[in-house]
Amino acid sequence: MKPTLIISAGTCGLARGSNEIVQAAKEYRRKQKLEQKFEIKVTGCHGFCEAEPNVIILLPGKRIFYQRLKPENIEDIVERTLLNQEIISEFLWSAPDTKKTYADIDDIPFYKKQQRILLGNNPSIEPDSILDYIRCGGYTSLKKALDEYKPEEIIGIIKRSGLRGRGGAGFPTGKKWEICRNARSDSKYVVCNADEGDPGAYMDRSLLEGNPHSVIEGMIIGAYGIGATEGIVYVRNEYPLAVKHVNMAVKQAREKGFLGKGILKSKFSFDIKIVRGAGAFVCGEETALIASIEGRVGRPYARPPYPAEKGLWGKPTNINNVETWANITQIILKGSQWFSSIGTASSKGTKIFSLVGKINNTGLVEVPMGITLRKIIYDIGGGIPGEKEFKAVQTGGPSGGCIPASLLDLPIDYESLSQAGAMMGSGGMIVMDEETCMVDVARYFLNFTQEESCGKCPSCRLGTKHMVKILDRITRGKGRIEDIALLEEIGENVKLSSLCGLGQTASNPVLTTIKYFRNEYEAHIQEKRCPALVCKSLISYVIDGELCSGCTVCAKNCPGDAITGEPKKVHTIDQAKCIKCGICFTVCPPKFKAVKKITPALQ
Amino acid sequence: MIKLNIDGKQVDARKGETVLETAQRHGIYIPTLCYHKDLSTYGGCRLCLVEVKGWLKPTASCTLPVQEGMEIITESPQLKRLRRFSLQLILSEHPHACLICDKTKDCAQYQECIQKAPVTFGCKFCAQNGNCELQKLVEYLEIKEIPFPFSYRNKEVERYDPFFDRDYNLCILCGRCVRVCQEVRRAGVLDFHHRGPKTLVGTAYDLPHLETGCQFCGACIDVCPTGALRDRFGKWFGIPDKKVKTTCMLCNLGCSVQVNIRNDTVVNTTPDNGDLCVRGRFGIAPLVNHRKRVTVPLMRRNGRMVQVGWKEALEFASSRLSAHKGKTGIIFSTQMTSEALDVLANLARHVQCTAFSTSVRIPGADQVFDFKGITKKAAFIIVNTDLISDFSPLLMRLRQRLNDPRFIVIDAIRSQFAQNADLWLRPIAGQEQEVIDDLTSKNSNGIAGIPKADMLRALELLAGKDPYLVYNTMSVTGVHSGKGMKVIPLNSSVNAATITRMGITATMSDVLDDSTLTCLYCIGAGPRPGRQYATVIAQDCFLPAFDCDLILPSATFVETGGTVVALDGKKKRVRKAVTPAGKSRSDEWIFSEISEMLGISNKNGLVRNVPQQVPATARFKGTDVHFPLQLIVRNNCYVYRGALLSQLLTGFRRLRNDQSAWINPATAKEYGLTDGAQVVITGKTITLHMAVYVTTRVPEKTLLIHTYSSMGELVSQPVKLEPVGAKREPGKER
Repeated sequence: MKPTLIISAGTCGLARGSNEIVQAAKEYRRKQKLEQKFEIKVTGCHGFCEAEPNVIILLPGKRIFYQRLKPENIEDIVERTLLNQEIISEFLWSAPDTKKTYADIDDIPFYKKQQRILLGNNPSIEPDSILDYIRCGGYTSLKKALDEYKPEEIIGIIKRSGLRGRGGAGFPTGKKWEICRNARSDSKYVVCNADEGDPGAYMDRSLLEGNPHSVIEGMIIGAYGIGATEGIVYVRNEYPLAVKHVNMAVKQAREKGFLGKGILKSKFSFDIKIVRGAGAFVCGEETALIASIEGRVGRPYARPPYPAEKGLWGKPTNINNVETWANITQIILKGSQWFSSIGTASSKGTKIFSLVGKINNTGLVEVPMGITLRKIIYDIGGGIPGEKEFKAVQTGGPSGGCIPASLLDLPIDYESLSQAGAMMGSGGMIVMDEETCMVDVARYFLNFTQEESCGKCPSCRLGTKHMVKILDRITRGKGRIEDIALLEEIGENVKLSSLCGLGQTASNPVLTTIKYFRNEYEAHIQEKRCPALVCKSLISYVIDGELCSGCTVCAKNCPGDAITGEPKKVHTIDQAKCIKCGICFTVCPPKFKAVKKITPALQ
Repeated sequence: MIKLNIDGKQVDARKGETVLETAQRHGIYIPTLCYHKDLSTYGGCRLCLVEVKGWLKPTASCTLPVQEGMEIITESPQLKRLRRFSLQLILSEHPHACLICDKTKDCAQYQECIQKAPVTFGCKFCAQNGNCELQKLVEYLEIKEIPFPFSYRNKEVERYDPFFDRDYNLCILCGRCVRVCQEVRRAGVLDFHHRGPKTLVGTAYDLPHLETGCQFCGACIDVCPTGALRDRFGKWFGIPDKKVKTTCMLCNLGCSVQVNIRNDTVVNTTPDNGDLCVRGRFGIAPLVNHRKRVTVPLMRRNGRMVQVGWKEALEFASSRLSAHKGKTGIIFSTQMTSEALDVLANLARHVQCTAFSTSVRIPGADQVFDFKGITKKAAFIIVNTDLISDFSPLLMRLRQRLNDPRFIVIDAIRSQFAQNADLWLRPIAGQEQEVIDDLTSKNSNGIAGIPKADMLRALELLAGKDPYLVYNTMSVTGVHSGKGMKVIPLNSSVNAATITRMGITATMSDVLDDSTLTCLYCIGAGPRPGRQYATVIAQDCFLPAFDCDLILPSATFVETGGTVVALDGKKKRVRKAVTPAGKSRSDEWIFSEISEMLGISNKNGLVRNVPQQVPATARFKGTDVHFPLQLIVRNNCYVYRGALLSQLLTGFRRLRNDQSAWINPATAKEYGLTDGAQVVITGKTITLHMAVYVTTRVPEKTLLIHTYSSMGELVSQPVKLEPVGAKREPGKER
């Protein structure tokens, strides 16, 4: 095997400059005429966003992980590591707390403690090459399904595996397929829901970008089980790379005979087309998604009848999330027993979470169901940066809820999360530390759902709007103590009277933050105090006379000319002029740390 | 039959029904707002929430299909709370000051309101006051306060389109207008804009309705539960206190129409169990209430028209008719009741009038079309006729009855319907008959400028079908149906069938060209300019445009009773809805009075012989160097008796520029013409002075004009065009 340089070039990697790395590597190889010496592979995301742009170097018996690279590092990497197998310690990842470095990717705690069934192949596959996928065992699962099983048996396997929908609600996939299979119709559809819209969630994008064939293979198997003849990948146009890769993958699969008439010489025919969504959050809701595919305004409509009975163009339609489809391939390949051995009693398999926010190791983590939050956040995520305290984690995006530190040992599965007032959602996990104001967080998420509401039900369209207004008033220190009860009442009413999942879960962030962080609400309302020092109206910036050395940096940078003071003398902030932009707080040299935030605000 | 339990009561439900429908059938009230019986279910307002035993959350009953053994609860404290919550939220965006005010009743009694206030901020200032569904629901749900701050949308009231106003500050987003426009009328003009709290109903790119293909059928207004959509004319007349069902006499479809009346004044007309077109919905009320109505008999004295009593007027009329016995011509409008026509025919016979004719030719009017005979196999070929702008209720009816049949349009003009039909064949103007003939054959190579592929597609659509030829008989000349085709004859003469049975064979030209006549009795038509008669008697609802010696004021069809025979050959009742304006009287009364003065008995039977087919008229082939343009003449269906709707009502003038000659932009450029430019159109037999309207609807080298009785008998022919005078700015007409 030739040494190989694997460059992570998903959207996040590209944003951090991985394309320049790719160009530099190719350029260097061409100039030095090293084509025979090593290979370059441009793959999808490797999952470790914190360390982008990163590369994996395949050497005999080793997989070395270099992180945060720059184009000028390429020469070193090629000459020293690829050609001479020397490990360059400055490129290695080191744990933020212990400062210990790791050379092999599999030793890094972030990767070591994961179970990367779906994401694991990303570094081995160039997304635009079907041959790479086939080399990694791709489409054997499809062959197995078509050769060895009848459609009913496929559904049986999926049912036995205990796979539940990864889109959020967790409906048993096998059962859904069975309903769709049993619905009588001349044509049926399968749809891959790639309209991932939660702020901070991107695992579907990463899968489609990095390993599109695994999703397509799952869809073909599903269509075979259900008896569908047409498949649709509904992907938002904000994911241009995913759109490109999935388009390419469908084309290649068609050329290789995995799609089209008589797949793999069987009697089964199936084809996939790609529909791009315009990026409305609500179009991830299955009925709105159907409306959008049909060319109507993307607004949910009432069920029953469920799409499995009457969906796209009035035909039975099975809609599954990207991650669910990718799981199918693995289940057929390795069997339902293997799959159901992972996870808890009611939630099987692994789940990908996008671990973001105030966390050391930001990235996509794939873990078995039932793992505790603590393990994800501390063992894989490496804890909270800057010696801050963990405060809460928001799961399930804007429809989910905030889980406090007291529930850190909560096992992650569908039921436990629901009981805690949150939800699995598509798997966003936003970690918050002590500097996060929970009222502000609730307002942020609610504002998002408010803007993304389709506008059909008054409860969702206007209920959320009035809740945002109340939250806004609280963060400005104008809240009334009755507001908490009012928020709970409106929140409960919105939950009960809305038509679709968006409205029914929109108030979750507010209700859970009130449930777990009521004291913060009360502090905002009664004491006009923001304990996390976030809400502008409730804080003031002051300069600590004992710490200030009079370096004048703050005064020079103040946009409002609010800071006065002679050089080498203690400076003061004129509260009447201060616009609370926080620049002084940021620019005050760390050795002094003289600018402080205090709450309640000075009058 | 499905059995379920609603509020502890065992009820039967039909398969496919929703819980709401079942409850309504069994007299169980569930409040609704977005639900409408003629539209698809929406489930948006959340007022019809019910609890289902075993379900976690309440669910909307309007979208919930019945299932065997369901247990439904329609009233509970939780449901009441949630319904109140939804309505309160809706009202937080809708002006609600009066809705929740406990002094509303006193206020209405004592305080005069500024009804034309530009902004509606309370029910007192809303045209829908008393008819609004929100008012009823507020009362039912006992809402006394709105716990949310009021957020007014502050949108400008949209008044730039004809016929109706849109105040989206009052809109509650129930989506009924959107659904009726998309599902029932298939116009698709309306949809929702934006998302979240910014959601609003509107047209594509917020264009005016005139530019979005709106049919102005008014269906959106009729389903709107609030005052957001109101027709402009009767907006402030108040809530109707009387409703009369009658038949619209503006075309031969004879649609059932409900006349809404307040204080003996027509407020508006709404569809009665069916659909209406723009004429029936927006034309009737302003016509009846028009300020140009003649309301008293007028007689010429010393060169001036002066008001006289009926006795004097009728004596004058009868004395003239008997004085000119044998030398009198009568021309009349077809938009009269059968009863009036009977008396008139009798009168005509007794005064021995040599010429007696309808004011327009109505070939094919003797044919009737029976809806009952039509089967699901029917397919329709529409020739030179715009079903949407002229006969839309027929289209709705065919679509409903036959579950979406196929429509093929043959028309050189890009009509509104041509764009909506399954297939539009655009032949060279004047060669429609070739196309029809070709459609009856088995194969086609393309004909009359239509590509082969289109013709083959047409044959494919018609294969195994029962073809019907649909056309405006007054507009399509020289066309006869192909082999095996049935005909649906359309025209603006509601009583055409009666008239043809009367055996009238003369055309209007026969009357007007008769030089022996000394007296002309005109009911909804006029003499040729320059032709002198000893006496001219006019009888119409509106002041005639020609000189006459006597004007007898007719009542409109809303003010008279009688019957008409419509397209289906059936008698339809026309009911007197309001008292005739001023001293105007029904045509029947006027004819009877004259007959009585002349000593004619009304009991004599009528001559009813079958008329000859009116011969086919000019066809044109190729172009003539002297007359390089083709003039296409179409019948103007927007007419009541002697008057064009567009002459009387601004809305219709803006809706379609039907008094101008339509010309293609390329051709207009060639002649250096812009919108509104005056031209002289000269053909072998005609000279017309008109303005032009530049539109892509007509093909190049073509002019389209809409004719009506007062323009005389025009036929399609080659013409030439000369611009005259200074160009006028478009849209600057009075």
